[in-house]
Amino acid sequence: MARATRTDSRVDTAVLAVCIGLALFALVLPDRSRDGVAAALRRTIVAPLLVLQRQAERARGALVERDRVNARVDSLSLNNALVPQLRDENERLRQLLGLGAQLQWGFVPAEVLHNAGGIAEDDVVMLTAGATAGVRSRAPVVAPDGLIGVVTRTDPGTSQAILWTHPDFRVSAMAADGSAFGIVQPHQGPDPDRFMLEMRGVAFRDVLKVGTVITSSGLGGVFPRGIPIGVVVGELKTLEGWARTYILRPAVRPQDVVHVMVLTPDRAASDIAGVWSSVATADSAVRRIAAAGDSIARQEADQRAARQRMLDSAAAMLSGVNVAPSVTASDSLRPRLNIPGLKRDSVRRDSIRRP
Amino acid sequence: MNLGRFLRGALAFTMLIVLQYSVRPLLGWRINADFLVIGVLLMAVRMRPGQAAILGFLTGLISDSPVPDAFGAGALAMTLIAFAASWLKAVFFADNVVLHAFFFLVGKWAFDIVYALAEHRLTVSEMVVQLLLWSPLAGAATALAGVLLLLLFRSALEPRTA
Repeated sequence: MARATRTDSRVDTAVLAVCIGLALFALVLPDRSRDGVAAALRRTIVAPLLVLQRQAERARGALVERDRVNARVDSLSLNNALVPQLRDENERLRQLLGLGAQLQWGFVPAEVLHNAGGIAEDDVVMLTAGATAGVRSRAPVVAPDGLIGVVTRTDPGTSQAILWTHPDFRVSAMAADGSAFGIVQPHQGPDPDRFMLEMRGVAFRDVLKVGTVITSSGLGGVFPRGIPIGVVVGELKTLEGWARTYILRPAVRPQDVVHVMVLTPDRAASDIAGVWSSVATADSAVRRIAAAGDSIARQEADQRAARQRMLDSAAAMLSGVNVAPSVTASDSLRPRLNIPGLKRDSVRRDSIRRP
Repeated sequence: MNLGRFLRGALAFTMLIVLQYSVRPLLGWRINADFLVIGVLLMAVRMRPGQAAILGFLTGLISDSPVPDAFGAGALAMTLIAFAASWLKAVFFADNVVLHAFFFLVGKWAFDIVYALAEHRLTVSEMVVQLLLWSPLAGAATALAGVLLLLLFRSALEPRTA
């Protein structure tokens, strides 16, 4: 028994020695031989394991990439959420740019700080331009859409203005064609009508139609003539028998205004007729120029090109000319052209026919 | 060793080899459990030292084949730890979870030491960092994985007590 154990032990030791010898031999093999043996193993026994390893590494790569993609999608979503806000701001600034181009001189651009500086009232705002920039008390505050308010107090760096919603706000007004005159003030009605204006003191003989544009008249020396104030939406029945009162939808909603222009006294005293009528034109011109590089413009151009290609393909089809394979006809083609006997299938077949 | 026991052991060993080439690359951690060492150690304690040395040698060759620069180092290290595991098991090893964990840790550490010395590619400072920092950590990960596998697949992996 002991002899057998001893023999086994010797055999084990011998096997160990052989294995160690082989391993050391593998270590000292020339590179070429070593690579050959390793390659033979990789091609045979180890091949399935290497495939498994490759798949696992690929799966790990996909997981890591998924995290990166998620992070990218998150940041894009965040950027996307800012797009409407930036678009609105862009729109406002473009309009202001149009107004500035029309006014040409005598204005001070400013930002409106709603409820800033401890002012709790909704109808009083702080402007970020003050006396140093040329803002004076009683200067008109305007926006691209029309009149907003008037400056009531100035500091060197800031100024305070009342909006047209302020109970003390008054402006001498007229119909845009000069047919009727009156005084515009905020309408002190119940909540739904609170943000409306009313034009009081219109002569009884002057009837204003709904939709008539009301502008400042220039009387009184504070507001120059021609600043849009609002549009007539109806007549208000009052007890005054000798004058009419009209309700106006304001040209500007103060809560939406962020950037304004404050007119200097010289500019307010000069002629600004036609400025607001051409603001819209200037604005659209600015927009066209600015949008030339915009993706929206490119998209529109692509759509126009697609429509044109579709019409070309229809015309070519009608004249019996083969259409390029990339051109596809829309299903809506048949009803639009109203061609008797022209079937949708035939249109589609022709449009994808290979030359 | 009867046939059923042998088949269960072979299946478990194959599973550990598959884990080595699937879980490790999938995790991609700096410190990984070495499933080949676990497999060799668990199989070695079921075999005679000579058989264990052969198993370790062959497993080492498999692990060496993807990196021909160190071809033979893994075979040498596996041969030695497999033989040692089988011989130590035959002498005194007891069936205890904590001892198993220690067994895996020491096995992995010993493997790394022999491997690093045999491949002689690392500088002295790199070798010190490798053997005194990363190898013990990898040994601990191997011990943890080995014990978990033993608990999960007790019937297939449970070693034969001496």
